[in-house]
Amino acid sequence: MRTSELSSRPGFTQTTIGRTVGRNWALFFLIFMVIVFAFTGSGFFEIANFQNIIHLSSTSILLAAAETFVIITGGIDLSVGFVMGLSSALAARIMVILSTTALPVPWIIILGSLAGLVISLIPGFISGTLVARFKVPPFIATMGMWGICNGITLRLCHGFFPIAGLPAALPELGNGYLIYIHPGKSITFFQKPEYLADNQIRELIRLIPFSFILITVVILILWFILHRHRFGQHTYAIGDNVDAAIRAGIDVNRHLVKIYMLSSFLAGLAGVYNVFQTGIGNYTTFSAMYELFAVAAVVIGGASLAGGKGRILGSFVGVLVLAVLKNGLAISGVEPFVRYIAVGVLLIVAVTIDQLFPDLF
Amino acid sequence: MKKTIVILLAGLFTLGIGTLPIASGESKASADGKITLLFMPGVADPFYTTMEKGVRAKAAELGVDVIVAEYPKSWGPEAQVPILEATAARMKFDAILIAPTSNDALIAPLKKLYNKGMEIITVDTFLGDGDYSKKSTYSFPLTYIGSDNELGGKLMAEKLAAMVGEKGKVFCEATNPDASSVADRVKGFKAGIAEFPEMELVGVEWCQDVQQVAQEQTLAALQKNKDIVGIFGTNVYSAQGSYQAVVNAGLTGAIKICSWDATQELIGALKKGQVDLVLAQKPAEIGALGVEWAVKFLKDKSVNVPKKIIPGFEFFTKENVNDPAMEQYIYK
Amino acid sequence: MNTTGKTCQQNLIGEMGKRWVFLFLLLEFAYFSISASGYFSFDTVQMILFYGTEIFLLASAELFVIITGGIDLSVGYVLGFATVISSKLMVVFASLGISPIGCILISIVITLVIGLIPGFVNGVLVAKLRIPPFIATFSMLGITQGISELLMQGIPAKNLPILAGSIGNGYLLYIVPGQALSFFHRPDVPRGVRVYEIIPNVVVFAFLFIAVFAFILKRMRFGQHLYAIGGNIDAAARAGINVRKNLVAVYMLSSFFASLAGIIYVMKYITGKADAGAGFLLDAIAAVVIGGASMFGGSGTVWRTILGCFVIAVLETGLRMMGTPTFDKYILVGVILIFTVLIECFFSNFKK
Repeated sequence: MRTSELSSRPGFTQTTIGRTVGRNWALFFLIFMVIVFAFTGSGFFEIANFQNIIHLSSTSILLAAAETFVIITGGIDLSVGFVMGLSSALAARIMVILSTTALPVPWIIILGSLAGLVISLIPGFISGTLVARFKVPPFIATMGMWGICNGITLRLCHGFFPIAGLPAALPELGNGYLIYIHPGKSITFFQKPEYLADNQIRELIRLIPFSFILITVVILILWFILHRHRFGQHTYAIGDNVDAAIRAGIDVNRHLVKIYMLSSFLAGLAGVYNVFQTGIGNYTTFSAMYELFAVAAVVIGGASLAGGKGRILGSFVGVLVLAVLKNGLAISGVEPFVRYIAVGVLLIVAVTIDQLFPDLF
Repeated sequence: MKKTIVILLAGLFTLGIGTLPIASGESKASADGKITLLFMPGVADPFYTTMEKGVRAKAAELGVDVIVAEYPKSWGPEAQVPILEATAARMKFDAILIAPTSNDALIAPLKKLYNKGMEIITVDTFLGDGDYSKKSTYSFPLTYIGSDNELGGKLMAEKLAAMVGEKGKVFCEATNPDASSVADRVKGFKAGIAEFPEMELVGVEWCQDVQQVAQEQTLAALQKNKDIVGIFGTNVYSAQGSYQAVVNAGLTGAIKICSWDATQELIGALKKGQVDLVLAQKPAEIGALGVEWAVKFLKDKSVNVPKKIIPGFEFFTKENVNDPAMEQYIYK
Repeated sequence: MNTTGKTCQQNLIGEMGKRWVFLFLLLEFAYFSISASGYFSFDTVQMILFYGTEIFLLASAELFVIITGGIDLSVGYVLGFATVISSKLMVVFASLGISPIGCILISIVITLVIGLIPGFVNGVLVAKLRIPPFIATFSMLGITQGISELLMQGIPAKNLPILAGSIGNGYLLYIVPGQALSFFHRPDVPRGVRVYEIIPNVVVFAFLFIAVFAFILKRMRFGQHLYAIGGNIDAAARAGINVRKNLVAVYMLSSFFASLAGIIYVMKYITGKADAGAGFLLDAIAAVVIGGASMFGGSGTVWRTILGCFVIAVLETGLRMMGTPTFDKYILVGVILIFTVLIECFFSNFKK
């Protein structure tokens, strides 16, 4: 984004999306789809399934949250997917190295995670500086970071090998639930009952995954920053009109660097969380296209690529729309590739209805 | 401002000089008549990285040079052929070890290189129908060394059936229908399961090589069919995703998981009891055999090279996973 | 104060800024010619052109859309969709006993017509229903991928007419020094004899279309309207431009180019698959941006976009011929792309 162009050219998307935002079609669409799938798919409308959806969407939610801030300023961050891979691989590599020392397991996990989080600030700092001070278009700055992070990640992975050999406690933490109920037998917290045999596993009811708590906390903090804090006001001001923001005395360059660092940090958090969830250090595969799906979720959530619009909860809903569509169609027994078509068609239909009948909701 | 330009240009210059030694990592052309081979992997994944190790080890043993081309980002001729052509333009290689990413698309570019005097060996996948013994437009490669994916899929089906008592629902997590090797595994698995009347394949999902997607799809499948007893993961990413989905669902132990490709990660999961069977192809052996035959033929053109070499599979189970004899089949 | 000197210097830098991409391309080429053995040759240039055709076409497609301030994410999978359709059609027609040249031509025409549909839908969604281009084309990406996979059923088309491959991989002119010279047809020579191949057919084919549309963009009223729409859509509407019609045309044009790239893919690789163009999307957009177009619309030219494509292609080919290890290559491409645009931005900021 050349900042001057942003102000002088409001662009086509701004006018169209401008009308879309403010009415939360995505949320209505989400609720509607949940109701439909409840009838079409047996096993969809179950607490376990909703927990699964949230649990597996947690990294996508973090990436979409990261993207939200950048998109509000009128930029785009293509590097999120590979920053996620980088911090995941680094955290895992550090943990593997520390495992060979006599360090106690909690310390290994904490130090590894910290390393992953800290490293994730660097790509953000670099792309932020490039965008803010050197006026490099965000597309190129972050696409360059994309390649750089990926190259470093694969070096950490010694080729295309996921990093294995991490403490066994990791996946237990990442996939843990707050409450386990074995109907009629027992209720335990944090850990599943010890006595379960293989054939009894299916009877267990689990409630509130740890990932859900993490997501809630992160979303609340980000919501506060974006909507109740000066940081957020400045973010919107820059996205609306850079020149006006400068006149209002906002240090735009500094703020943009912060935004890209925040975005990168959230991607790093997603990476570290991914280590907890899977128990291995994953590099990001090329076909993953995390950045595309993150941006799509943010746009579905009501943001405009021209900047100035977007909400953190909107992006959250955007991720869920995509996740619920895929999950619901799968459970309803729609064939894999018919599902691709269905997701596209349903999205288009939903936006169209919203455009044709603006007063419907 | 002048100063800034000078700094920038100086930066450009140092960058150029600085990257020179990194960039030209192994471009030592063999001027001394030493045999030089080119290894062209199929796609960026652990299987071909392991094969590269096998190729390099054998080459070092036989005293020949080997150059490894860039790993293509995705499976397909549009990613592989430009890399092949650019790398092959560097010098006249004596032989090329390549995993063709399309049975048809690679015939023309490889024929071109063959006409320039380079010998071709196809590893893991093949040209045409893989039968180079009869005369055809694609019979010019020296040999095909690889594994029979369809047979592997079928064997997996049989082993999985034995584990679950030959009845119940099973599910298959695959990667990309456009990748012929994976498509063959699925085909074999389908055929294998069809032989057991009390077993049913409830779904095949395609995760496009993204573990996260494999996880989502497997969890949805488990939610839809709560009585799934076995899952087949057809490559590294789909196998990881499917066993992790089972871990997410808290169903470890209740569902048998067969996985293709023996990465350390999957072997670790096998040791923990999260995976029940791991099929190892022999990438290192395939690579080594390729080098061995190439060198044999180049040194003596009258050597009769078998047109098809199938090294077969190894199966890791909980029983033999700690056996030191099996150690060599783990990808690393 | 020597004011004339300063303006002179500013002019020079301004010129440098305008020509920077071209300059950088020359620098790149010079660098690789020195450091990669065999890089400085006619073959290398042909190779870059030959394997770049899909990207050239996709980047041109993307450029039209980006000029209007939109984005088309579906081009990659529309390419795949076109490869699947045209390869299947060729096989069907060949099995009906139509002559090879006939079935290739019929398939191309049908594919190009069908290939307009995704673009038409995108255009209507964006122009008439005012759906954000990102969502419309993102949905279309999924739809075209799904349809192509369903058409394929996991089995790539086999037994395409041999002619398709020989056109796609053929050259205009073949020379065997001192022995033969032939057009379109490769002379039969024993193994090891050098044949000089000059100008690949597909490159001519692609550049014909690109040149026509570059002309339209630059000289025709349609082109002027696109810049006007991208510059300020309301002003364009007030000036009496039929914005909707133009937007639908732009998305159809984008789809058309993508299908053209798909057909070239089939001719080159004699196969078709759904994800054939998936990897090209980011490179295509990047080429447009390196070529100086703004993602917010209103600027960009075909010529500079093609330069942008070359910057990427020359870099990739060069690093491959230098034998850069895979991971270092990823890093280097990232660093150099940033660096190119950094300097370009530096020049254009300096001018102000």
